[in-house]
Amino acid sequence: MLSDPLYRLRALFRRKSMEAELDEELHAHVAYQVEKYIQSGLTREEAARRARLEFRGLEQVKEECCDARGVSFVETLIQDVRYGLRMLARNRLFTIVAILTLALGIGANTAIFSVMDVMLLRALPVKNPQELVEFIRLAPDGSMMTNLPYAVFQHLRENTTVLSGIFAFMADTRVLRAGVGSEHSRVHEVSGGFFSTLGVNPLLGRTIDPNDDRPDTEHQVVLSYPFWSRRFGRDPSVVGATVRVSGIPCTVIGVMPPDFFGVDRSQLPDMWAPLALDRDPGDVWVLGRLKPGVSIAQARAQLEPLFKQALESLRDGMKDWPEHERDDFLAQKLLVNRATTGTSGLRWQYWEYSNTLKILIGMTGLVLLISCVNLANLLMARSAGRLHEIGIRLAIGAGPRRIFRQLLTENLVLALLGGVVGLLIAAGGHRLLVAFLAGDLQRVSLNFRLDGHVLAFSLAMSLLTGLLSGVLPALRAAREDLLPAVHGASHLRGATRLPFARKLLTTQVALSLMLLVGAGLFVRSLRNLATTDLGLARENLVLMRVDPSLSSSVRDRREFWMQLTERLATLPGVRSVSLAGDAVFGNGGWNETIWTRQPDGAEHDATVPFNVAGPGFFETVQIPLLTGREFGWQDRGNSPPVAVVNRAFARKFFDDQNPLGKRFGNAGPGSSSQIEIVGIIGDAKYGDLREQPQPMFYLPLFQHLEERPYQVHARTAGDSATAIAAIRREIQAMDQDISIDNLRTINQVIHGLLQHDRMFAFLASVFGLLALLLTSIGIYGVVAYQVTRRTGEIGIRMALGAQRTDVLWMVMRETLLVLAAGAAIGLPAAVAAARVLRSLLFALGPSDPATIIWATATLVGAGALAGFLPARRAASISPMDALRHE
Amino acid sequence: MAGERIDLPQGTLDLLILRTVALGPQHGWAISERIQRVSSHVLRIQQGSLYPALHRLERRGWIKPKWGASENNRRAKYYELTRSGRKQLEAEESAWRKLTAAVGQVLETA
Repeated sequence: MLSDPLYRLRALFRRKSMEAELDEELHAHVAYQVEKYIQSGLTREEAARRARLEFRGLEQVKEECCDARGVSFVETLIQDVRYGLRMLARNRLFTIVAILTLALGIGANTAIFSVMDVMLLRALPVKNPQELVEFIRLAPDGSMMTNLPYAVFQHLRENTTVLSGIFAFMADTRVLRAGVGSEHSRVHEVSGGFFSTLGVNPLLGRTIDPNDDRPDTEHQVVLSYPFWSRRFGRDPSVVGATVRVSGIPCTVIGVMPPDFFGVDRSQLPDMWAPLALDRDPGDVWVLGRLKPGVSIAQARAQLEPLFKQALESLRDGMKDWPEHERDDFLAQKLLVNRATTGTSGLRWQYWEYSNTLKILIGMTGLVLLISCVNLANLLMARSAGRLHEIGIRLAIGAGPRRIFRQLLTENLVLALLGGVVGLLIAAGGHRLLVAFLAGDLQRVSLNFRLDGHVLAFSLAMSLLTGLLSGVLPALRAAREDLLPAVHGASHLRGATRLPFARKLLTTQVALSLMLLVGAGLFVRSLRNLATTDLGLARENLVLMRVDPSLSSSVRDRREFWMQLTERLATLPGVRSVSLAGDAVFGNGGWNETIWTRQPDGAEHDATVPFNVAGPGFFETVQIPLLTGREFGWQDRGNSPPVAVVNRAFARKFFDDQNPLGKRFGNAGPGSSSQIEIVGIIGDAKYGDLREQPQPMFYLPLFQHLEERPYQVHARTAGDSATAIAAIRREIQAMDQDISIDNLRTINQVIHGLLQHDRMFAFLASVFGLLALLLTSIGIYGVVAYQVTRRTGEIGIRMALGAQRTDVLWMVMRETLLVLAAGAAIGLPAAVAAARVLRSLLFALGPSDPATIIWATATLVGAGALAGFLPARRAASISPMDALRHE
Repeated sequence: MAGERIDLPQGTLDLLILRTVALGPQHGWAISERIQRVSSHVLRIQQGSLYPALHRLERRGWIKPKWGASENNRRAKYYELTRSGRKQLEAEESAWRKLTAAVGQVLETA
């Protein structure tokens, strides 16, 4: 039936005119009646009087007509929203607490959602991003690598017919010289098809095209907008200028627009350069664009065999690989996936490879649940305070449905207000999370943006919380038999409502306990990590990468490094200096295959991390030398090959016997007697704080000297900052062109490694404390309400001889029961939920007793205190006052 | 006004109104006058129930209003039967006849 909605719409928008029409209609009726009476012989006055008398209650008739006409849904809604806002404005404290509670729950979840949205869901700002695909290698053991060997990329590029474009890129840090001074800048080296395949246009100048990606041509670079702004003050004349990248002259040919970041939101480069800048690109990230109409299945059908062919073509170059490694390499499979959202290192790190984001979702989900329960509790307490109002409304004819609807509308209004404030919290939380996850905000393009996704999510969250927390209280309020409330006999009731409030509180206690246990586990794990024995001394150890390759004055490398070590060691504030190929807490060394002779005479091969170290390295980093000697200046190119191994190495390969003088080799089968072990050092962590000591060996740096940067390790006497400045000055005094890179103390490195753990500890603590606070407020509110309700009863009890302690205990008992029930539910739930955290915890299990005791004690303590305050008030009630209060 | 008055059973007012406007557009007063006259003053419609009923029927789309000039040149709101109103009238009429016949039968034979 069409006329009904139309009628209602008209009723809504033309309410005034409809009322006037009704008025006119009814007055016309009276006029007819008057005329009728006049015609039947009455005087005009008498006729008018009788007609009016007959038509008693004109207003009431009008009212009934309006009812008959039906009040529109929207009209009621507007009315209810207005009424709700008035009620909320009247009770400010309640409203503020409720909105903040909701805003917290909604905000935390929206923040996570918006981070995931930007990391996982938001399409790349390029032409038809849904046509992009990424290439991933799947190893036989199921592990995935997101890059391909350069030669494989070339093979795919030359032979594919299903792609309209394919490109490779790799991220690098290079020394940039533009004008005076040099600095490190983040360069993405891209193959020639990068810009054309993405279909993006520059803001200024032109982009790199396939002709630019050739080793024999002059090199070109394209600047990113943020870098152009930061470094060149948005000077358009920089296009055409020459800069030196790692000493190679390059022409700036263009600047990209502000919203272009490449294909990885988590790596915003300063500039793009041709891949040809690199003589040997190694492994590269590869993306392609499907030809229009080509399905992903068709693409896979062609590209997978091409990938296999490409791997096979590499077989000849792998002669000296151990057989199983070669087999594993050749058995790799290609995965072709859609890359609409680009390829993001953070996505792999936090979504595909780990549970980080999932755990954060779990935590914020708990916060949301607690918010809902807390709000439900607040609403129950408040509707109890509104019994009188609701009673009157029921008495004058509002149906329970009407009351329910009005209360629910009010709660939804509240939830929407909470959602709006929640968006503000989400924007802040988003920034905080991205800072935790990505480290440097300047290097990522993961900004909070209030787009349709985020708005829809927070709206859905608001409605969900509004319904979750509002339906039950509204239902109960509307269903109550409220006549006693109108009569003012409020003490008669109240008991009916409390069992439900108690259930809500119990739930809240249980949920809070889960968060507190999580917080405790993360905090203790972080402390364990921060104080774990590294096997080396972490105080005042300074690291830097030094690269002399651009310096024309360095002719003899050995001479240079010797001189550098000596000059730095004599600086005031520097105790000792040494060199290494890989820094401590760098990559954890490089893997190398070694051959050892077994007691039965057979040769055995194994893959072990190794590093090269200069003279005095172990003394400098203070890894204890257990026996033998460490490397000295005498270990050089033409001296007998030697090695230092750690205890784990000795344990694994020499049955924990003293391996001094024993031998192993790293030059393929038959080399097992090449290298003599001259020293054994203690086990130290080298790559990661969580690792168990691994077998590792060291070779003398000067026996294997290469043309490459080395890591300088310096142990300073006091303040590292002064020493760092002095070291930098000293090196630059040797030659301006020596690049010093990545200057840091080992404590800074460890701080960075713990970023992730700190994030969990911080967020879980904040959420845990908030949960504690909300639960305490909830307990306080319910108990205080209960005490007020029971003032008369308590008065009678005391008049009959109950002691203050009896009353105190009577009230406290309720609180303690709630806490005990909450803990009984919450503890098993917490332990079960904590299992998913296992991989994130260090040196403690998910059911760590100390954490559980601490969390329970904290919660019970805070809850008991919250219950004690109103209980004390109950105990101080004077019986006379209480009875007079009736 | 002489004569015995009967309270209208629930729902019959709608039927009477529909039947009355089926003869042609009428305004509210005329409808009540006509029902009163035709029923020999047995049925008397209170304004308090007439107008809400008219608005209810209008909402259901069985009658539709039209403003026009009355015989004495007063602006009046005329109600006329719609197509769905006519169907409704037929349905209600036959239901009513069945009901009264059945009730009558029971009264006579019991």
